[in-house]
Amino acid sequence: MHKLSPQELEIAQLIITTLGLEDIQASDIDPQEPLFNEGLGLDSIDALELALAISKKYGFQLRSDDDKNAQIFSSLRALSEHIENNRS
Amino acid sequence: MRFMQHSPQPLFEHAADQPIALRSGCAITANTFLHHALALASELPERHYGINLCEDRYHFLIGFAAILLKGQTNLLPPSHSAKTIQSIAQRYDDCYCLLDHDFSELHLPQHRFSVPEVTAADVLAQDVPAHDIPRIPYQHIACIPFTSGSTGTPNPNPKTWGRLLKVTKLIQHAFAIANDQPLTIVATVPPQHMYGLETSILLPLVSGSCMYSGRPFYPEDVRQALGSIDGAKILITTPIHLRACVQAGLSFPAVDFIISATAPLPVELAEQAEQAFSSKVLEIYGCTEFGSLANRRTAAGDPWRLFDGLWLSEDQAGGDFLVNADFLDAPVALSDQIEILPRQRFRLLGRKTDMINIAGKRASMADLNLKLLAIPGIKDGVIFYPEEKADTVTRVAAFVVAPELTPQQILQELKQHFDAAFLPRPIFQVSELPREKSGKLPRKNLLTLWKQMSQQPIQPLKQSTAD
Repeated sequence: MHKLSPQELEIAQLIITTLGLEDIQASDIDPQEPLFNEGLGLDSIDALELALAISKKYGFQLRSDDDKNAQIFSSLRALSEHIENNRS
Repeated sequence: MRFMQHSPQPLFEHAADQPIALRSGCAITANTFLHHALALASELPERHYGINLCEDRYHFLIGFAAILLKGQTNLLPPSHSAKTIQSIAQRYDDCYCLLDHDFSELHLPQHRFSVPEVTAADVLAQDVPAHDIPRIPYQHIACIPFTSGSTGTPNPNPKTWGRLLKVTKLIQHAFAIANDQPLTIVATVPPQHMYGLETSILLPLVSGSCMYSGRPFYPEDVRQALGSIDGAKILITTPIHLRACVQAGLSFPAVDFIISATAPLPVELAEQAEQAFSSKVLEIYGCTEFGSLANRRTAAGDPWRLFDGLWLSEDQAGGDFLVNADFLDAPVALSDQIEILPRQRFRLLGRKTDMINIAGKRASMADLNLKLLAIPGIKDGVIFYPEEKADTVTRVAAFVVAPELTPQQILQELKQHFDAAFLPRPIFQVSELPREKSGKLPRKNLLTLWKQMSQQPIQPLKQSTAD
């Protein structure tokens, strides 16, 4: 069990419902573990799905030429911070 | 001698001052490109194979050409995971990795290169010496793309330079791309896969057109890339990107046409994409073993049209459908059931093997299941492909009888052996599989159980024994 902030919990839920990961719970996600490859084993299809869900829920578009792109998806915590800084 | 029949073929069809690539808003001429490629060729290691891992499409093009100019072969791995690349390097030990970025986890000989930013002023100054267009031997193995084996052993598909050009010219003809009309090609797919290689690297070389060096990924990237290009442009993409673009609800600049491949494009999505981009969406059918071989306008409900110069036949012994061409040494077997229609038309009737395709990656269901059942602690289990949903990518799911394991532990095990695209989700814990008395596990039983379980609220997880 991991302790997540309310914002991290909300995004963890979004990841689970968007990507069909119903076999895990939000608190199973380590907020500092990588979301892709190693951690949850997500791939680039998931990145697109997630970007879409984020744009619908938080009202901004992700960009891949953003230098911080790799960092944004590096962990739940990093993603949560990026959303907090960019949401409209 | 056979190779004497085929004369060496030019590296590209551009005039020296024609743009071959658009990079950071600047058009790079064919002559400047050649200058870059020759410079790189002169510094490449003396080895037979270069694993071309360049991410920037223009860098990939320079690398691809430099490797050819040096008389070497491009190895094109199915994914950029260090593990996959290392497994290829084991089989081609006389190789090095050609890189335009840091890849410290890769414990192989590396040749890292960088190309000076070309500015508009450089282009105007024309200080690059004029070079003759080099010719590459027809029978030279230009590249070896690999199909992603689900087992982690990628399968090689060697391609001669002559054969690559033949297939690319068929694509050019099928899409009526003229050599004398300026065209910029934007692609969301990597150049290391056969589809991306043919459409975003070879098609510009063969048709004298211009490639966009970036690789737009998110819908907003696609919008900005297309908006940055004046004049005629086409978009090379996949159903997954098209769906993301359609659902993003952005306003996209019009393109001349869109090409989609790697997975079947649903008719409804094709219609939506035609509206979103104010253009036709044309689909390519092909396989890594042959390359692109047919196209159609999906929204019009057309059957596939086999490229001119190709013909289909049925292998009476094995029941395979084969694609034939006069430039092939032997026909190439296809992994689909096909209904051959008159006038170069055909319909796909579905996969004839147990192969599944998720986002252009292929795996054998039998193989995935063997890997699942090999995990210690799994008493019974099955990975299966649920019914496809129109609005999302369908993944495989699994039922397991494994009272001592958590789904996460199972996932950790599977990750050692599977590409992420084939990791089952969700993994449902069950007390037994819905087998018939005979022990058979019919697909309809799986789908019934799957429907029941996916409609239920999320089951509380069994606590891991490790907790």
